[in-house]
Amino acid sequence: MKILIADDSRVMRQIVTRTLRQAGFDGHDLVEAADGAEAVEKANAEKPDLIISDWNMPELTGIDVLRKLRAAGNDVKFGFVTSECTEEMKSAAESAGSAFFIVKPFTAEQFDEVLTPILG
Amino acid sequence: MSVETVVTEDDLAEMVEQVWVSYLDPEGVSPLVVSGDDKQATEVHSTVSITGTWHGHLVYACSLVAAKKSAAAFLAMEADEVSQEDISDVLGELANIVGGNVKAMLPAGCFLSLPTVVLAPDTASYYPAAARISGLYGTWDGEPVSISMWQSVKQEASA
Repeated sequence: MKILIADDSRVMRQIVTRTLRQAGFDGHDLVEAADGAEAVEKANAEKPDLIISDWNMPELTGIDVLRKLRAAGNDVKFGFVTSECTEEMKSAAESAGSAFFIVKPFTAEQFDEVLTPILG
Repeated sequence: MSVETVVTEDDLAEMVEQVWVSYLDPEGVSPLVVSGDDKQATEVHSTVSITGTWHGHLVYACSLVAAKKSAAAFLAMEADEVSQEDISDVLGELANIVGGNVKAMLPAGCFLSLPTVVLAPDTASYYPAAARISGLYGTWDGEPVSISMWQSVKQEASA
């Protein structure tokens, strides 16, 4: 599977990558995007099977990325890994078609629980 | 808005504990030890601002040694291998994580800014329209670390 990790923090992209490995999801093809606009661009160019996205990013927020992809007919599996978690955000994410919502700080166990049904 | 709705020192301690357990001290051997010393000197800090129904700032400050240790833990490197960019990124992420968790406890309709990082003591930044309303001050392996919350004075006065 190809996974796109979108986060403006280089550190957090590395931590997501490491946590995926710690959760047992080795061997996937990982692609990174450093802001929302790059996430849309890579989603179209790289055609990932899953996008793991931050919410608060420059250029386009994560929810804007998701809405833009869905509006263009792209049904890629998409979920958020973000430090922000309010009911309004969760509800907006769900309505836009998000598959999961992981809150930072997170553990490998949480990744395992949420991503196993998706990544197998 | 009343001060009661604002995040307390205990709330900050709970968030910080999660950060330590997840990233900085997964083995549980060197937690942040709360000292309450709000005069402790720091060398670097990062800030996220919250706007909307609540206005203010969340400031994460620490010594350079603590910042290097944090970067090393986040990036799975040795402390003497981390670059200034690593330190800045990790400090920004720490403010972002705690700020995001703080936001979840505030009334609906708040917005979190992207973090800013200053490689200078927290006293180098001024928040002229805000007053400190709570803070968690402690040490991590003897190194100072603090998380403080600042609320817009104007907003507090109109509560």
